[in-house]
Amino acid sequence: MGEFWMFPGQGYQHAGMLQNVPRNLIDKVYDLTGIELTDTDEAYQDSIQIQLGILTLQIYQVNRLKKAGINPQIVGGHSLGVFGAAYAAENLRCEDAIRIVYQRAKLMQNAYHDGYGMGVVVGLSRTQVEQLVAQVDSPTEPVFASNQNSAVQIALSGKLTAIQKVIELAKKNGAQTAKLIKVPVPSHSLLMKNVAQILSADLQKIQIVPSQIRYLTNYSGMVTQSVDDIRYDLGNNLVHPVYWEQMTDVALEFSPDLIVEFSPGHAFSKLIKTKSDIRTFAIDDYGIEDSLFLLEKWKRG
Amino acid sequence: MEKLNYKFDTQEEVKEPVHVGVVASGDLEVLVYPTTDPQTTVEIVTGSDGFGEVWKNVLDRFFARYPLHADFKINDFGATPGVVNLRLAQAMEEIKHGE
Amino acid sequence: MKVKRSWTQQRDAKNARMEKVSSLLNGKFAKTEDAKEILERLIEPNDKVVIEGDNQKQADFLSRTLANVDPERVHDLHMIISSISRPEHLDIFDKGIASKIDFAYSGAQSTRVSQMISSGRMKVGAIHTYLELFGRLFIDLIPNVVLVAAEKADRNGNLYTGFNTEETPTIVESAAFKNGIVIVQANEIVDQVPRVDIPGDQIDVIIPADKPYELEPLFTRDPQNITEIQILMAMMAIRGIYEKHNVQSLNHGVGFNTSAIELLLPTYGEKLGLKGKICRNWELNPTPTLIPAIESGWVESIHSFGGEVGMEKYIAARPDIFFVGKDGSMRSNRALGQVAGQYAIDMFIGSTLQIDKYGNSSTVTAGRVPGFGGAPNMGSNPTGRRHSTPAWQAMKTTDNPLDKGQKLVVQMVETFGANKQPVFVDKLDAVDVQKEINMENAPIMIYSEDTTHIVTEEGIAYLYKTDSMAERQAAIEAIAGVTPVGLRSNASQLQDLRNRGIVALPEDLGVHRGEAKRSLLAAQNMSDLVKWSDGLYNPPAKFRSWS
Repeated sequence: MGEFWMFPGQGYQHAGMLQNVPRNLIDKVYDLTGIELTDTDEAYQDSIQIQLGILTLQIYQVNRLKKAGINPQIVGGHSLGVFGAAYAAENLRCEDAIRIVYQRAKLMQNAYHDGYGMGVVVGLSRTQVEQLVAQVDSPTEPVFASNQNSAVQIALSGKLTAIQKVIELAKKNGAQTAKLIKVPVPSHSLLMKNVAQILSADLQKIQIVPSQIRYLTNYSGMVTQSVDDIRYDLGNNLVHPVYWEQMTDVALEFSPDLIVEFSPGHAFSKLIKTKSDIRTFAIDDYGIEDSLFLLEKWKRG
Repeated sequence: MEKLNYKFDTQEEVKEPVHVGVVASGDLEVLVYPTTDPQTTVEIVTGSDGFGEVWKNVLDRFFARYPLHADFKINDFGATPGVVNLRLAQAMEEIKHGE
Repeated sequence: MKVKRSWTQQRDAKNARMEKVSSLLNGKFAKTEDAKEILERLIEPNDKVVIEGDNQKQADFLSRTLANVDPERVHDLHMIISSISRPEHLDIFDKGIASKIDFAYSGAQSTRVSQMISSGRMKVGAIHTYLELFGRLFIDLIPNVVLVAAEKADRNGNLYTGFNTEETPTIVESAAFKNGIVIVQANEIVDQVPRVDIPGDQIDVIIPADKPYELEPLFTRDPQNITEIQILMAMMAIRGIYEKHNVQSLNHGVGFNTSAIELLLPTYGEKLGLKGKICRNWELNPTPTLIPAIESGWVESIHSFGGEVGMEKYIAARPDIFFVGKDGSMRSNRALGQVAGQYAIDMFIGSTLQIDKYGNSSTVTAGRVPGFGGAPNMGSNPTGRRHSTPAWQAMKTTDNPLDKGQKLVVQMVETFGANKQPVFVDKLDAVDVQKEINMENAPIMIYSEDTTHIVTEEGIAYLYKTDSMAERQAAIEAIAGVTPVGLRSNASQLQDLRNRGIVALPEDLGVHRGEAKRSLLAAQNMSDLVKWSDGLYNPPAKFRSWS
């Protein structure tokens, strides 16, 4: 039927990941934002370097695949990954993607300073986690059940003290793992409302182009080709959970014959392999050159 | 990787060592050794963390039904509780059959 | 008082619609490239339209074409699809071409169906079992237009649907005799069909498909993936149910549990001396894992709902067993198969995703609406049944002269399923989904009252022997392992239930757990199945990694 392309967000960035990215693309980022991507561990302490770095890497990989005549039927990005996905689906131009991600990173960096972040619970269902969250959540200690990466892997977003309380409850109630993760903002919760408002206003000025490629939205897990849905997702996914499990389940219902995970990392291809035997790989498994070789070989049959 | 240890008060003496199960994903192996200790010991090495409570439940039930007295060593590779119970019961059958 | 009206309004309307496409037709035949225009002219807004979406065979050329019609011309259709199987079945709703649906099964699209119902893009009339939906085609869901698939059509419009006939005759009948329009996609136009499955005078339009219809090998299970725990449960079922109750006629649900039983008949079953005594007459799709039992003489007859990719030649060579036409290919029929499965068999045995503490089971999990398909027809006690068989009589529990037998309905599950989540739960996910999508009935697959046995790796609960709900719950708890439901059972309760024959552990049935080895299977892998079939079975590509 075609290919499903997956675009991860922050988490697996690492020094040297941009080594194959051509100079002119790095320069383009500099010209549009004034940011020099240095691709070092030091740089990846900074949210702007991380977000622009990952987007740039994904733009580069998309360009390479498309140049080889390889195209997706359906795309899905996780959090920041929506911009790589919308670029791959030809809904968003390269320059617009870079500008808007720069804006997003700046807003997120300034949104919260200390005491807010995210956690993850493994081994409990969303309903179970929501029940625990309800026991803790209050106006002074807000916490939300956020991203759904799989049926039993649910993220938490909010004030760190509240997240810690939910983590303790989760451990007592049979979770296999419950811990804080290294994200300094309460992403994908209502606490990001101000950021989303500004970002949405900026997105109104950008042209979203209709396309034949199907786009999976974070905020509902549904597939769409509507420019309004896509614009909403790009601007507002930060205030909604990422319904990644639903996104991938929907993608699988289109019976793709190949699933590709763009860099960095291979967390999502591992998750897919637990529920589908469709040929799935991460570009990071082989590197870009070998990945292209394999993709072209499979395309020929 | 997690190491779990349990002790049980049991009566039925095991005379010969027994080995059942396989080293494979979703499965486990159970090694049973005769013991002179007053209590039965169960030592589990598992790749899936966070299932201590479930292990305890499976073992409680098993030793309530079949109070075998021995040292149990279990190497687990992500078996479901059903498979764990099957392997323990197979070890039990082999022990009783051996008598 | 007699009404004054024309009694041929529907016929006149049909004739008027057919007139609109006369310029595009040569007799009944249209060109492939005119398909979209034909659908736009023949289908009117708010029509009831059936798309043949069976379990296996898909009228996919017509469904793709319908998903591309102009929503300005064709909109707000009321679709009737027995199995929502293809993405374009839902694209039709995304584009506003259709707004309402009545269906039976949606396993392959269950996430998107759930999303579209929740978001209001798809209004659901009801979620049916196959027989209900087929029945309603003749009562209150009589279609205006039906879109079906045939393998071959001849110059007179006669259709050959062959091996994969499934529900084509049922759908065509509902339109052809009630002024509906019958549109067929055909893989091939020939001078003479090998046999007439549907007579040409029931057909209005035939369009050669751009490519042969899609066919899914849904019922093939590779023996390689059968686990020892499934073999143990299969051994218990054979001893504690098939042998104990003398089960002659049956349906097996799809899955590795039942495949294990099929592959144990020629080995374990034979050792028990059961050949010729049980499992003789089957209502079943031609599943490859039954080949060893057929070849070793266990099976007298098999009637099938549909075909199975790769089994064509094998079946053609075994007409004593299967229902085969003079042309040499099998005839399947889902409607008649479901009637047989509901009324004429001793036992249904299948698997499920969740069972609650009362014994109700469901395959609905959070965010998915898979529908029912045929399991509730077969997995229910037909209170209208009047004929008797030994197994039916064995379910009587009193001496009351008016008491009657019961169909055996068996659920076979491991206590923990995928993600190590418990299968036995206090409350089914189906109850939450019911609220979420606002259904009038909770989507229960098989009700507790119809369930006579539950088999787990721990043992068998003989639910038909219980005489109160409390006792039924205790029997379920006793075999539910260390799930939250199972932890409520204790050793003395278990002993009491065993003494009264309400629960049996493997040792009570003479089943040795140590014997539950893969070597006990009559075939270990796909290649063994091919050997058993004398090379007549031809597995689909995705199952051929062994070659």
